[in-house]
Amino acid sequence: MAATPMNQLSALVNNMFATGLLDEQFQQLQMLQDASAPDFVSEVVTLFCDDGERIIGELTKLLEKSSVDFDRVDAFVHQLKGSSASVGAQKVKNTCIQFREFCQQKSRDGCLKTLDSVRTEFYDLRSKFQTLLQLERQIQGFYPK
Amino acid sequence: MEGRVEQEEGVMRVLLVDDSPVDRRVVQLLLSSNSCAGSFHVIAVDSAKKAMEFLGLQEGKAIDMVLTDYCMPEMTGYDLLKAIKALNPLKPIPVIVMSSENEPQRISRCLNAGAEDFIVKPLQGKDVQRLRNCSSARPKGSSQCETVSKRKPPPLPHSDHAIVGTASPSGRRAHFTGVAMVLHSSSVELSQYFPLLLKLVLLVYAVMCLGELLHRWSSGGGCSLFLWCA
Repeated sequence: MAATPMNQLSALVNNMFATGLLDEQFQQLQMLQDASAPDFVSEVVTLFCDDGERIIGELTKLLEKSSVDFDRVDAFVHQLKGSSASVGAQKVKNTCIQFREFCQQKSRDGCLKTLDSVRTEFYDLRSKFQTLLQLERQIQGFYPK
Repeated sequence: MEGRVEQEEGVMRVLLVDDSPVDRRVVQLLLSSNSCAGSFHVIAVDSAKKAMEFLGLQEGKAIDMVLTDYCMPEMTGYDLLKAIKALNPLKPIPVIVMSSENEPQRISRCLNAGAEDFIVKPLQGKDVQRLRNCSSARPKGSSQCETVSKRKPPPLPHSDHAIVGTASPSGRRAHFTGVAMVLHSSSVELSQYFPLLLKLVLLVYAVMCLGELLHRWSSGGGCSLFLWCA
């Protein structure tokens, strides 16, 4: 099978679904992308990546303090969980759910460990999303709408 | 905020309130997609405070429906819901609440406060019909929410009728899961009001009777008093 952008894109997306990185919500977004909203997916994905980056930054700052405000931490994690759910970022969403439990328990160590997991998963997802968007742009270049 | 609301026929003007930029965009795109055939005009704000400010403006009067997130900092969607219903008690703007948490207590709280519907996030294509069902832009007699406006003034203790009337067909499925909680919580709230109402009614009646008696005594010269004593 030739490694055309189209094939690469399918392989990438399939892999993201298979590894649990994405769930059916992402499929919902893909279905909504059409002639009236040709950039639906890329817009939402870009927003998610920017928003996620911002939230992870805030969480890092909050957890560095000697006295942690767990309510504020929980509020940010809730935000990240919400936007992951909206985009179909299943793995990040599930880690956020665990994160919130550590917030409830007011466990600084638990929060720090989970923040590391979230960060790793988020950056992994983000780089795959960036590849996805690049491939989409290439495809649109071949087949302008 | 995104500019003036156009007064187009058949277009539902939705005020979307959500502090998450991702969720705002998803809902905006969802409602403007081809599948919705241009039937929604969405104005998005990122806080309940901005929503109230907007509703106070001229353009805000033209809003057919408010779609709000529940969890927001400073002023929650629940507080916004109550504030919107209080804006125009005779003809309140329909409000639909969204939340990522599928919590029966939260759902019943919102429905009891007058929300037309409660949708669990993330919003999907199938939820769009629920928005259409609950809007003042729809012609009278054809909306599911007709029963909602009929149920004000205060609903009967048989609050299952009120709740079933509130929900759109697809919403009912979600509501069934919370019906038990709803019945319990709404009957608890109602039972608080009923003794008060009863007391008020009795008080008014007593005052009227007293007034009547006093009138008779002053004009009848006290004869009726002797009748009572005899």
